[in-house]
Formats: sequence, structure tokens, C-alpha cells
Amino acid sequence: MANIDQLSAQQIAAGVAAGDFSATEVARATLDAIDAREDGVQAFLQVSADLALQAAEATDARRAAGEELGPLAGVPIAFKDNMHLVGTRTTCASRMLENYESTFTATCVQRMLDAGATPVGKTNMDEFAFGSSTESSAFHRTNNPWDTSRVPGGSSGGSAAAVAAGEVTLSLGSDTGGSIRQPAGFCGVVGMKPTYGAVSRYGVVAFGSSLDQVGPFGRSVADVALAMNALVAGGRDSLDSTSQELPVDFVSQLEEPVEGVRVGIIPALMEHEGLSVEVCSGLKKARAVLEDQGVQIVEVDLPNIAAAIAAYYVIGPSEAFSNLARFDGVRFGYQEPGCATLAEQTALSRAHGFGAEAKRRQMLGAYLLAAGVYDKYYYPAQQVRTLITQDYCNAYQLCDAIMLPTAPTTAWHFGEVSDPTQMYASDLFTISNNIAGNSGVSVPVGREEETGMPLAAQLQGPAFADHILLHVARAVERGIANAHAYEPGTVAPAFVGKGGELA
Amino acid sequence: MALTQDDVRGIADYARIALTDEELEEMCAYMNEAIDLLQPIREYDLDGVEPTFHPIGSLSNVMAEDVQNAHGRSLDLDVALMNAGAKQGRSFRVPSILGEEGGDR
Repeated sequence: MANIDQLSAQQIAAGVAAGDFSATEVARATLDAIDAREDGVQAFLQVSADLALQAAEATDARRAAGEELGPLAGVPIAFKDNMHLVGTRTTCASRMLENYESTFTATCVQRMLDAGATPVGKTNMDEFAFGSSTESSAFHRTNNPWDTSRVPGGSSGGSAAAVAAGEVTLSLGSDTGGSIRQPAGFCGVVGMKPTYGAVSRYGVVAFGSSLDQVGPFGRSVADVALAMNALVAGGRDSLDSTSQELPVDFVSQLEEPVEGVRVGIIPALMEHEGLSVEVCSGLKKARAVLEDQGVQIVEVDLPNIAAAIAAYYVIGPSEAFSNLARFDGVRFGYQEPGCATLAEQTALSRAHGFGAEAKRRQMLGAYLLAAGVYDKYYYPAQQVRTLITQDYCNAYQLCDAIMLPTAPTTAWHFGEVSDPTQMYASDLFTISNNIAGNSGVSVPVGREEETGMPLAAQLQGPAFADHILLHVARAVERGIANAHAYEPGTVAPAFVGKGGELA
Repeated sequence: MALTQDDVRGIADYARIALTDEELEEMCAYMNEAIDLLQPIREYDLDGVEPTFHPIGSLSNVMAEDVQNAHGRSLDLDVALMNAGAKQGRSFRVPSILGEEGGDR
């Protein structure tokens, strides 16, 4: 029959419902693909074969009993390892949580399971999501499936790579400053950061509570839309006080014409000195295919976006320091043995449990929140946040979505960006979206000529316009496919067809 | 004015992260570099601009009913204790809180 990596989420769910194949067969094929590909990718921190087979058997039993199946019946999914799932560890790729067993299941995970998805494991990430390359994982690196000498991006690098290598059909990541969109761009898959609050954060280990948002990866816009439907279907989550209702169907409008939709571009950003020529040409191609479909391109400006990096690296570390104070080695997490006092135990548990970048961010946050410093940075950063939010409001008077790069370059080689503050600067195009709480998505637009690495465009939209964003993303995807630059569903060539045969 | 190693030692103490001397030196260099990156924040004329602390403007505290396990979310005792580094009976076990030497080694 087919290889599992050639099927969309919709095809798998339909095939399972029709009895063309069973959820158990799909799960076995997926585990086989992971077995054959994981040495090269190293996307996973834990493969939950038993949980996957149990869930798949339950799906098959429901079908046998004549019950209606969920929209993701049998679809293999992986979760970033900062999401709780009972029966797995939740390590955040940190020594601090190396042995931490999930004590409950996150709402976002539960909703995917409720839709019938099969949980196959937990994916690698930058430690506590601090990073843009997944190199700060305490356990191992994850390779970019398009070139294993390059990073997959981060912090949700494992989730992006697992989908790009065809190990799973869908995955979830979290995005605090670009951690879904940038790895999606680097790995040639679609990655969506929904509007702040549209997806519950309950059960996701917190980094920056006013910035964090969970969202899906898939190899096509349609798969991401299907995953979004499952994430929002249950409505507001009463277990997350910042959860917001987003009652839309992401799938139904995808193929509607985009004629008359207004997409903004920011000329000043396209002149940015760090922006590579190829990334820029990828965006021009995306613009051309949208214009061909009748989209109206308008020029807009975000005059205060230059201050976004600074505002983010005040707000993010401050919130991280506050959130990570819970890791004191008492209720959970690494505990330093043989300490005389609680203070000593706390300081040594944190010193030996956290890696270098996690310490850096917390130290920066501790400094920024100190008396006397707060007024110099934290308060003004929140005022700048107002200006950036207003900039977006003004721009969205003129357009329905804004198109900009996902990252200044394609994926870099391991070790190439080693200076932490240099890496921070690479978040330039993604972070302002988190500061404003708006929606964003990264979609592949081709491959770099010289390296063959995937190129991406990012679309941003106002809060609660997530479905419009996916509608425009689908138009980009369709136009790019018609121009033979990149097909939806593409699996990285070195991994396509390895294992994963659906018996 | 740049942070000195003494400043950074003070912050590490407050953050409860015991840094080695070598880490302290690296951390000091990093923090000064990171703070430089934040300078645009200080160059803005922000007179009269209201702060936005959260993307959702109208947040208010959510209070639970004062009853046991009102939402069915309470962890069972064995689950609550299963990730603890040290426990005793129904409790998390911690070293002495008072004094330099404690006595609970």
C-alpha cells in the first residue's frame, strides 16, 4: 500500500474511518518509520510505543463498535517535551526534569487525543524553550532533515524535524518568540502560532506566560487547519484563565478564492541588512503568486518594530525568572544530595539542574526585576509593547494580513551561531507578534538554490483572525505548488520512504 | 554603568543559582552584552504611554470555591509525591530552613 509519510492527516483519518487500514496499522507503520529514521534525525526524547498502540487499539475498538470516530482518528502526533502527557516524562530537555513523570495531561494534548490522534512521543527542544536551534537541549541535538549538518531551528526543533522527516503526520510546539514558526521555516513545514489564548496553556511548562502559545506543525496548510480545529473545538478551557474562545472552522474556507484580500508588506523590513538575498527572493515569489490570485498588496509600516527585540528580551526573561522559581528541587526536579540547609539545596539544585542558557535567562530576569532596575527596563518595555500593539492595529486597518520573512536566513550549521545575543537577534521577524498576542504562520515557499534548504514566508494577522491567516497561507501554498517551487506534503528527500510502509 | 562580578554574584544569590567562579566571569560578560541589547528601550520618549502588561487587557483573578477538590484536579497523594527528591510519609522532606549548618544532613 502507501508509505505513511505520503498520507495527509485527513487521508489517514478518512482511511481509518472507512476501514481501508486500521489505526493500529498506522501506528505500527509510524513506529517503523521512526525506527528507521530516528538515528539520522534525533527528533525524539521519548517514543511512547505502548501509549501509541493502546490509543490506536482504542480507536479501532470504537470503529468496531460502530461509534463515530474523531476528525484525527489514527493520526500519529508528537508533542514538544514541555507538554504533560500521563504515561510519559516531561523533561523540557533539561537535566532538571530528566526523571519527571507527567502527573496530569495538558489540555492541548488531551484535545488531540479526544479528536482520535495517536500519541507517539515527546520531541526534543531547547532547554525550557530557551533558544532558536535546539542546541541547548541537555540530552542531544536534533538534525535538520534537509541537511543533517544544520540545525532544525528552535525551540520546537524536534517537533518540526519529526514532521519534516515523515516520522509523524502532526506535532505540537510552543511559540514564545518564534519557536514554532522559525523551526517550521527551517525544516520546510507549516507551523502556526495561534492568537494568544486561543489554545489553552494548561499543562504546558511555562516560559513567558504573557507570550507563550501552543500551535501545530504539519506538512500542509490543510493538516495544520485540521489540527487547529481539534485544538479549539472544546471551546474555552476553564483550567487556563487566559484561555479565549475561537469558535471557527479552519478547514471549510481554505479553498475559497483570495481575490480582494489585502496583504501588507513592510518595505523597510525587506531592506534589513541581515536578510539574505534568497529569503528575500522567496518572499517575492510568494507575493507574485498571491497577486496572480487577485490578492491586493499594500505597503504598511510598523515603526516601532526595531524596539521589539529589546522589549522581548526584557519581558521574556523576567517572566521566565518568575516561572522557573518553582524549580527549587523540593516537589519535583533535580535535588542536590547532602545539603545542610534548604537555601544551599535550592542554590545547588538549580546550579546543577539548569543548563547554561537557562541560567543566563533567569539571571537576566532576576536583574531586570530587581528594585531600582524595574523602572529602567521592565516598565518601559511594557510601554513599548503598547506602541507595537498600536502599530499592528494601524496596519490592520489597511490590510488583512502582513507577509514578512520567518527568519533572516535559512537554517545554519551547528555551532555557527554560538553567541547568545547574536542568536537573540535572529528572532527579529517573529517576536513582535508574540508581544502583541497576534496570530502567525510560517509556510514553505521553495528551496534555496545553493544549499537546497527550505525557504519560508511568514504571515501575521490580527488576534482572532487565525482562520483568515490559514486561508491566505493556503493561497501561498497553492500558488507555490503551481509554480513547481514546493509541493505541500513534501518529506525531506533523505528520509522519504524509509520504513513506514503501511502493510 | 557595567555590572561587576560582585553585582552578578549578588544577583545569583537572589536568583538562588550557585555559580562557580568561572561561570560568574562568563555570566558577567553575558549580562553586560544582553543589557546593551536592551538599550533601545531606554531611548524612547514614552511620556504618557500606558503600559500593556498582558495581551488580554481585562484579566482578573479567578478564585476557586473553598471546597476540597472542587474541580477534580487535585492530585492523589502518591502522584503528588512521586517526583519529589526526598519524602517522608505524607510529606515532602526538606533540609533545615534556619541556621548556617542546619543539622539535617
